[in-house]
Amino acid sequence: MTNESTDQTETAPEDDLSSTIWPQVDRALAGITARGEAGRIDLIVHVPRDEVIDALRRLKTDETLSFDYLRSLTAVDNEDEGMDVVYHLYSTTTRHNVTVKATLPNEDLSLDTATPVWKGANWLERETAEMFGIRFHGHPDPRNLLMPEDMTDVFPLRKSHPLAEIEILQGEGMGYPEEGA
Amino acid sequence: MVTEPAYEFETQDILLNVGPQHPSTHGVFRMVLSVDGEVVRDLVPHIGYLHRGAEKLCETMDYRQGIGFMDRTEYLAAFNAELSYVMAVEALTDIEVPERAQWIRMILCELNRLSSHFMFMGAFGIDVGVFATPFIYAWIGREALIDLFEEVSGDRMMFAYFRPGGLAWDVPRNFKQRVNEALVVAEQGIKDFDTMLTENEIFVARTTGVGKISAAEAIDWGMSGPSIRASGVPLDVRRDEPYLMYDQVEWDVIVGENGDVYDRYYCRLLEMRESVKIIRQCLEKMPDTGPIMPEKMPRMLRTAPGEVYVRTEAPRGEYGVYLVSKGGNRPHRLKVRSACLANLQALRDMSVGQYVADAIVVLGSIDIVLSEVDR
Amino acid sequence: MNADLFGLELNVWADAAIRLVMVVTLMTVVVMGYTYLERKIIARFNRRLGPTKTGPWGLLQAVADALKLVGKEDLRPRSADPWTFELGPYMIFIPIFMGFVIVPFIADFHIRLLDLGLIYFVAISSVSIVGWVMAGWGSDNRYAMLGALRSVAQGISYELPLVLSLLAVGMYAGSFNLGVIIAGQDVVPNIVWQPMAAFIFFIAALAELNRTPFDIPLGESEVVGGPFVEYSGIRWSMFQLGEYASIFIMSLVFSAVFLGGWMWPFGEDLGRWFQVLLSGIKAGGFFFVVVWIRISVPRMRIDQLMGYSWKVLLPLALVQVLVNGLVMVNGWHEVTLLISGLVGVAVLVTVTGRVVAAPSVRPGPARPLMPTPAIAQGEAVS
Repeated sequence: MTNESTDQTETAPEDDLSSTIWPQVDRALAGITARGEAGRIDLIVHVPRDEVIDALRRLKTDETLSFDYLRSLTAVDNEDEGMDVVYHLYSTTTRHNVTVKATLPNEDLSLDTATPVWKGANWLERETAEMFGIRFHGHPDPRNLLMPEDMTDVFPLRKSHPLAEIEILQGEGMGYPEEGA
Repeated sequence: MVTEPAYEFETQDILLNVGPQHPSTHGVFRMVLSVDGEVVRDLVPHIGYLHRGAEKLCETMDYRQGIGFMDRTEYLAAFNAELSYVMAVEALTDIEVPERAQWIRMILCELNRLSSHFMFMGAFGIDVGVFATPFIYAWIGREALIDLFEEVSGDRMMFAYFRPGGLAWDVPRNFKQRVNEALVVAEQGIKDFDTMLTENEIFVARTTGVGKISAAEAIDWGMSGPSIRASGVPLDVRRDEPYLMYDQVEWDVIVGENGDVYDRYYCRLLEMRESVKIIRQCLEKMPDTGPIMPEKMPRMLRTAPGEVYVRTEAPRGEYGVYLVSKGGNRPHRLKVRSACLANLQALRDMSVGQYVADAIVVLGSIDIVLSEVDR
Repeated sequence: MNADLFGLELNVWADAAIRLVMVVTLMTVVVMGYTYLERKIIARFNRRLGPTKTGPWGLLQAVADALKLVGKEDLRPRSADPWTFELGPYMIFIPIFMGFVIVPFIADFHIRLLDLGLIYFVAISSVSIVGWVMAGWGSDNRYAMLGALRSVAQGISYELPLVLSLLAVGMYAGSFNLGVIIAGQDVVPNIVWQPMAAFIFFIAALAELNRTPFDIPLGESEVVGGPFVEYSGIRWSMFQLGEYASIFIMSLVFSAVFLGGWMWPFGEDLGRWFQVLLSGIKAGGFFFVVVWIRISVPRMRIDQLMGYSWKVLLPLALVQVLVNGLVMVNGWHEVTLLISGLVGVAVLVTVTGRVVAAPSVRPGPARPLMPTPAIAQGEAVS
């Protein structure tokens, strides 16, 4: 997502999206303030973060769309503009793709968990949480996935995290528990 | 009449720590089994031992330098991994890939699928307990393919051969002949495995009905590749959203019925036959001469702002690359969607309630590559 | 008191000592030969060459292995139980070695042919299970413990079919003395009249030896070597020595009980070296089949393994004993035994195959694909 496209939002002409599945998505998301954007490959749907889980559930259960497959879940750090949490959905029956995006403000990086909608969101959310410091409310197993279990105050994939510090972080003083403890 | 004894033996589940150093965890994977005698009561997977931060590193590299990192995320199918990445870059930069380069990419990716599945067959044979034989036989088939890769790309594992726009250099002159030779060896290898394992009574007894997962569950977990197709879901990116030239060749998507370990094995075996079929057609349709790169390539790749999620069908499932660009010559964010990560999530559901030996076989059957899981 | 050893008049004690030394030497040499052969056979099955560098045709590979193992540090985990850990290998090795007492190698060389030789053999060889448990328990390692428990379950389950198949032969031969059993096979070996007993004995012997497909106590891919996992150096090599020595003794017993040992088909007139050759060929053949099976089939699971013993082998072994009894009491012709035995083998093979029939529904090409969705997607990639 770019500045340019963000500015476009107010004036986004509806007919641009008429060749995509946006009309169906718009109908399924009735009552949610969703905004469509034509991606290079897939349709991108921007959803406010409070409604994202509701939107995902509706997209999954909608009969004509039935986005039953969660391809990927990740986040993008846009520095001053907050963080985007990105869901790539796919329908195994109708073979549509859609990208759902929710923007989190930097002051409150938290979101409801998608694990009730897809079980597969579990590890993806754990990874996103430890890498970006996003809290997923109601996650059943909020431990670190890839990083050491006690490394909960460092978020490597944030833009503010420099590469060079990693060496120092992996050195002494990390307070790892004793072997076999 | 059977009466309940007045007392009850108190038993205690023991924790069995399998890995990270264990012969059948396929790398540095660790699972903690809670074992009641021989029966697995709970399973907690631990990953991350091979996490190298490829995504973060790619953010600091320009687009061409990222290719090498993609090889290392999926070292058994590096061509497939590169493909997703370069296709994502191409989609962002609107580069047209010449036709001949596409055919060559497709041949190499399918050959890589063969070699990766050979690796699975060998390792899986060891997991079910055949001593050495399948592994060595797998190596015979794989060796022919890897030799070919070396002739083409100059490396046996980390190829870095695909470039945004095409290929690094043209294939050797005798490429078609060499591919045909390698295919003969590979076909013999497939036949060997078919006779060695498919009908073997003990192999069948060890694998049927083990590690079952239903189609709905598999979709819910986001599994992909042969692991989900064995459950009866015909999910194959090559067929569903054709990339390269997959819409111009004839082949079948292989689906299983039972979703058990045997189906996952047999799906892969049949898929290897399909791959051979695809490669044969590619060789026929591929033009002998022609450009492998677009006429004009910029000296420094700069992408337009935007984002793409490009997915291709790697041997282990959907290998997706989510590339976000804010302009400039390096990605703003690169996310690798790992098929193994999703497949591995379902491991607990598949193994709990079965025997310890089954847990090993189930782990082997989803064919994980830990470097892809951890990235 | 004098005894006769190859025509030499010797004091009984000297005689016994010489015989023991000869058997120990023979066993060590044969074990080394077996490891070399196993490597070579497996290599040929795998389209490899196997050892070629150490000595002519790699013949000294076993010596090199032994030297390496002796030179390695003898490690003991800190938390291991010292006594059980250190004594475990001996408890496995000594009973196996004691089994050699009753084996008739050739017509005039053996240590002692006991009248209850077969019973002695079965009894003494099951003692080594104690050693497995000691090794598994003493190691303080969960893999080792799991392997030890598996080995106990398996050893005890397969002991029964093994004993019963030997019992059937004993009934038929009228003696448990291996010398007498061999002497009775001068014309027709027992495998002809007792084919089912031979089959059952062979399968049970595989399980007793912890060889594939019954190697679940060791299972490298599951319990990482089972009770051996914590052992190194000389102690580990004692396990190996015990393993191959037990294959050797099992192959000798099989050849003596079912294949006519040194007797069949030439009798004892052809001289000592011919008997050595005959014994060697039969034992070697047994060993070859064991290795052949090892490189061909996967490992069984514990429930399948136990079920196979109790539900298939044990009933059939009992049937064999029953049939033998009927034939002997009623004085029927021996051909009855052959026919019933072959029927039994057929049943055994059918049941074994039926238990694990291949799945009826197999993966195949996907059914016709669903129509393309009505709503067009965005641009396709490339």
